[in-house]
Amino acid sequence: MKFRCEREALERALGLASRAVSTRGGSLPVLSGVHLALVGNELRITGSDLDLTISVGVEVAGDTDGITVLPAKLASDIVRAVADGKVEFAVEGEEAHISAGRSEFSLRVIPADEFPQLPEPAANAVQLDAAVFRDALRQVIPAASADDSRPILTGVLMAAESDGLRLVATDSYRLAVRDLPGTSVLTGDESVLVPSRSLNELARVLDAGAELTLRLGEHDATFEMAGARVTTRLIEGEFPNYRGLIPASQPNRLTVNRELLLDAVRRVRLLAQEATPVRLIMKPDILELVAVTQDVGQAHEAVDASYDGAELTVAFNPDYLLQGIDVTGGDEVTLETVDELKPALLRMVGSDEFLYLLMPVRVS
Amino acid sequence: MPGAATILHADLDAFYASVEQRDDPSLRNRPVIVGHGVVLAASYEAKRMGVRTAMGGSEARAVCPGAVVVSPRLEAYAEASRRVFAVFDDTTPFVEGLSIDEAFLDVSGLRRIAGTPAEIAADLRARVADQVGLPLSVGVARTKFLAKVASAVCKPDGLLVVEPEAELAFLHPLPVRRLWGVGPVTGEKLERRAITTVGDLARLHESTLVSILGPAAGRHLHALAHNRDPRPVVTGRRRRSIGSQRALARRPTSRVDADAILLGIVERVTSRLRKAERVARTVTLRFRDDDFARRTRSRTLLAATDATEPILHAAQVLLEQHWPVVEQVGLTLLGVSLTNLTRDATRQLVLPFGARPVDENLDRVIDDVRHRYGRTALERATLLHRDPGLSVPMLPD
Repeated sequence: MKFRCEREALERALGLASRAVSTRGGSLPVLSGVHLALVGNELRITGSDLDLTISVGVEVAGDTDGITVLPAKLASDIVRAVADGKVEFAVEGEEAHISAGRSEFSLRVIPADEFPQLPEPAANAVQLDAAVFRDALRQVIPAASADDSRPILTGVLMAAESDGLRLVATDSYRLAVRDLPGTSVLTGDESVLVPSRSLNELARVLDAGAELTLRLGEHDATFEMAGARVTTRLIEGEFPNYRGLIPASQPNRLTVNRELLLDAVRRVRLLAQEATPVRLIMKPDILELVAVTQDVGQAHEAVDASYDGAELTVAFNPDYLLQGIDVTGGDEVTLETVDELKPALLRMVGSDEFLYLLMPVRVS
Repeated sequence: MPGAATILHADLDAFYASVEQRDDPSLRNRPVIVGHGVVLAASYEAKRMGVRTAMGGSEARAVCPGAVVVSPRLEAYAEASRRVFAVFDDTTPFVEGLSIDEAFLDVSGLRRIAGTPAEIAADLRARVADQVGLPLSVGVARTKFLAKVASAVCKPDGLLVVEPEAELAFLHPLPVRRLWGVGPVTGEKLERRAITTVGDLARLHESTLVSILGPAAGRHLHALAHNRDPRPVVTGRRRRSIGSQRALARRPTSRVDADAILLGIVERVTSRLRKAERVARTVTLRFRDDDFARRTRSRTLLAATDATEPILHAAQVLLEQHWPVVEQVGLTLLGVSLTNLTRDATRQLVLPFGARPVDENLDRVIDDVRHRYGRTALERATLLHRDPGLSVPMLPD
């Protein structure tokens, strides 16, 4: 195997593929490597931890076709560190040689035949708008759980919904639901549960404007786009029944400029330390935000808002609140509440495609 | 570093063994070992014969054949500890408990009311002896570190004041292993380079120490050797952790036994957590190997809780992850500590997904039944007919 290419292109491809490389000890040693396959002028770089596989193509000046596996971290670090310009790469026997400028590295390769056979993507393919799908992913992923001890909640539910696709994520403290009308991927009451970590990586790889193809298999899903492919294992199990949680409407409704609210919460959060909440005091035409940390201090800020309902104080985890306001989008948002113990509903004014349901923090 | 020597480190001598000798006059002046398996505590008479805490039972009996071995009475120790801490709290508002049997006390500002720190320390020892009947050693210095070293040097039943002008003269002749953070490995690294006293250490440049021990340990020891320890006595805040641990025999522990022991410990600490009206976010498992090296693994939950279920789950995941290591290095102690504690007055509520199978009320009902009818009134099926084992609270709640 031998080729030349631009350092920058190789760095990007290695970086993306390496994100799927296993960081956990104890798995197959070969999975700490990235797989390189060269055919003609097309180099394909693949990293996998068996749950997630990222494969990225790079255009190179090919000399000799071949296959090899390199230690992922070291290979990425080398290509990142060398001088900009052309990089020459060649494998001879058990060593890979990387040279650029006046630097030369030789690296012991990992036997390529130990690299696992990756599943063939399913045949049935559907097209998605990459930009829309990426934005939808960014809206729901923050609500998914990062706690591996409850695997179901680490997934994003993709489900058929009346005339389109619905994405749902919850960590049991908040719930994010995004509808993509007109996007038919699944039909009837079909649904799949995709690890949010995989979707997070997909969102990084996705270029706006690109065509995105989704192939759903029984146990895995493959996302294909120009030059890259992301394959992920699906999570087995039943997603919690979230439908009953979504209220049609709630008695108290606050409407506020999203940027103003975002900035105010960011400031007040500075004094919400040691897991103390931020309190929202909702009064006609004004929203007050208060944070008090015992033995440290307090913060107070008023934000212009229109409020229709009974005067009410509700406390939230500031991070959950901020993420919700951030991903809801739009110029203005509404926050609908029942009382200080029931879920609050955050939406963008003028759009029903996204909702963020957040449980308060009980303060006694 | 201005100021006078006003920090006291008060440390009960051979705590469990002293309680046994106090309560049973026939044990006084005799070597006493607490714990039929691993040695939990040894009286000074036994220590002189070479018995050490955490030694295996048969080894301890071999070095000290005349020792009286008694079963531990944790209730009695917890009660004694509460009474000693009451004396501490009565002495100064600034008490920082370190464990069930030691604490730092800051007595600055009490000179007019209660006398000099040396007088307060002598009075403290007399009151603990009179009111609780236990020997207490007290070190007095300007820094926590020196106070702790001083109490260790003056043990048993001693008092040592390190006056500011005598600090370096006190510190520098001490063996390096007296320093906080110098265990067997670091000690050997230093001694191989003929660095045996704190004075030897102090003569080295910080960068030399960093090159021998790495940046964190190097800087830490350099500062200590030069008597720099600005940490104040921390009080006023509630305790930062709730934990419990259990010493295990040196024979291999099966996975099933480890799971059962873990369950027992988690049930105890979560019950104490609820009693203290706290919620915890971080679960740490503590392990001790066959060679007594310690290891920890921890996991932070998404939200603070006082429910047994999620804390147990996190602990089980940690044990599972660590088990391959246990199979290689053994397990002589298993402990759980809960940190990142906050008042349970603020609690992140959970979305009402239908009926929850295990709810928080169940824990409270179990606590209540056990409180009314005794610890064994309600038991998990997996723990039935198992020795509840010794679980030692690390600090009075």
